[in-house]
This record gives sequence, C-alpha cells and structure tokens, in this order.
Amino acid sequence: MRATRREALIGGGAVLLASAGAAHAASAGDAGLLQGLLARERRLENAYDAALRRDLLDAAVARRLRDQERAHIRGLEQALSRMGQNPPRAAKAPRIPGRERFASFALDLEAAAVVAYLQALERLRDEALLLPLGSIAANQGQHMVILRETLGLPLLEGSLAVS
Amino acid sequence: MGRTDTTTRRTLLGAAVAGAALAGCGDDSGGAPRRPNNASDAATLNSLLAFEHAVVAAYDVSEPLLRGRALRNVRAIADQEREHVRLLTGLVRDLGATPAGPRLPDEYRRSFPRMRDEHDALFFASDLEERGVRKYLESLAKLSDPRLRRTAGALGVDEGEHLAVVHLLRGEPAAPEPFVTGTS
Repeated sequence: MRATRREALIGGGAVLLASAGAAHAASAGDAGLLQGLLARERRLENAYDAALRRDLLDAAVARRLRDQERAHIRGLEQALSRMGQNPPRAAKAPRIPGRERFASFALDLEAAAVVAYLQALERLRDEALLLPLGSIAANQGQHMVILRETLGLPLLEGSLAVS
Repeated sequence: MGRTDTTTRRTLLGAAVAGAALAGCGDDSGGAPRRPNNASDAATLNSLLAFEHAVVAAYDVSEPLLRGRALRNVRAIADQEREHVRLLTGLVRDLGATPAGPRLPDEYRRSFPRMRDEHDALFFASDLEERGVRKYLESLAKLSDPRLRRTAGALGVDEGEHLAVVHLLRGEPAAPEPFVTGTS
C-alpha cells in the first residue's frame, strides 16, 4: 500500500532518528510506562478498526481516528525498540459495543488514555519523551472533541487541568 | 490560500518532527530526577500566565464578531482560558512568586491583527490555540516539579481541544494530524 505524504514524513523521520546511534538500556520505569500507553493505543486502534469494518461510526471519522492511533503505536513501538525493549504482544481486544453505544464507549477509552498520558508526564525520567507524549495527549483530546460532536454533546467539557 | 498551504505544510512538518522525536527517544538511561527549582518553575508558569492573559483579551476583542454556534463555542473556550489564568495565578503564588498581571486592553488591541468578521476572528483563534499548544508542550521539559508537568500537560490537552473546536468552526478536520505540536 502506498504511504500518504503524512505517513512518509512521520515514518521517514522516525526511521532516520531511530537508526541513529546504538540503543542503551533505558530506565525500566519509562519502558513500563510506554508499554502501558501502547496497550491503551492498541485498544483504541482495535476499536476504531472494528468501527470501520462494522459501520459503528462514520467511515471517514473512524478511518482518521484509527490511522492516528496507528501513528501513535508506531512511535511508541520505535521508542521501546530504541530502549532495547520488545513491544508487548497485543492484549485481548475488548468487547466492542454496537453502533448506538460505540461513540460513548470510544470517548471513555480516549478519556482514560489522556489520563494515562498525563500520569506518564509526571513519572517519566527521560525528558526527551515529554514533548512527543504531550503532543499525543493533545491529539487524544482532539479525538474527544470529535466523539462529543458525534454524540451531540457540547464540544468542550470541563478543563482537564482545573477539574 | 497561501496561508492555508503554509499552515498545512508546517503542520505536517511539525507532526513529522514529533513522531520522529518519539522514535528517537530512549537512547539514554533517563537520568536522575531534577531537583525542584521553584524560581525557575515560577518563571516558566508566569510566561504561560502572561500568554493566557493575552488570549483572554483576544477573545474579548473577537467575540462581538461572532454569532450562533461560533459564538457559543468561542465563549466556552474563553471561559476555560479564564480558568487557566486562575489556576496559573494560584500556582505561581504557591511557589512564592508574584503572578504576572494582565496588560491594559489597549495595549493588547494594538498587538492584535485587525479583525473584520467571523472568518478573521476564527483565523486568529486558530493561531492563538496553536501557539498555546506549543507553549505548554515546550514548558514540559522546563518544569522541574513533575506534578507541574502533569498540570502543564493537561493545559496543553485543553488547548489541543480548543484547537479542534476552532478547526471545526472553520470547516476543517478537528484533528488533522496525529501529533499536535502547534507549529503553524
């Protein structure tokens, strides 16, 4: 399959940097945090892929969300590889609800992922991880806006920082 | 038109850099935790606070140009920005420093682009929210206190959500890229 320009930019840059220099043992704590985030990203990717196959969400929306989760997964896997850690095997996929409940289900998954990313920002030792993980968390927040629109909810809920 | 092309290209490049940065992480041992530095953290938070004051002023100026759905949503964004101001003000005080105050409305007005209609107001809002995301992301590595990093990360997520709302109001995809960097 031919890569889009966006994928080429992200993937190309990632490969170049990932291959520069030897991998060293990273803090076990950081690797564990990334593995936890990766598991959450895989659940989301699985959910949106099911949504696309089973018509649980508008197809263009499901495809965009799934592809963005895949980009996060690639980045996390490459970061783990660079730490000398094998990415964990995919966990059992969660039970996916039907169309009437799917967007709400996905919104809950996204909200939990944002909280996990914020916890990681507090615990990470490698400061170079902070910005990319923060940028993914911001993207997950954008996914929540998309899902709220799908559900007919106000686009914004309470501030995460203030609540 | 040129602006749209430029924004798209920069957003793409920013996303690529963030993705590449993530892939390039983990090549050291992580290092020891930094010692908390209240003065440095207060300076970082005060810089964010000064920006938030400007954003609140910008929304005050642009609201009269908006109607209907755009007005409702921009008001919701502005309310959250005011909450950010209150939060950051309290955090700076907790660190024993003096919080940055707002400038005079006329001073802000002179620094804002001239806005004639909703299109201009939303264009400016998009620019502000991009900058907000970028500032919070850049602050993460500057903050020595891990709890403040979490707060700054949450504020960055808020700004990412605001940006998505503004994108929608402008008829654009809410989440155009997987890594939100605020690089336009």
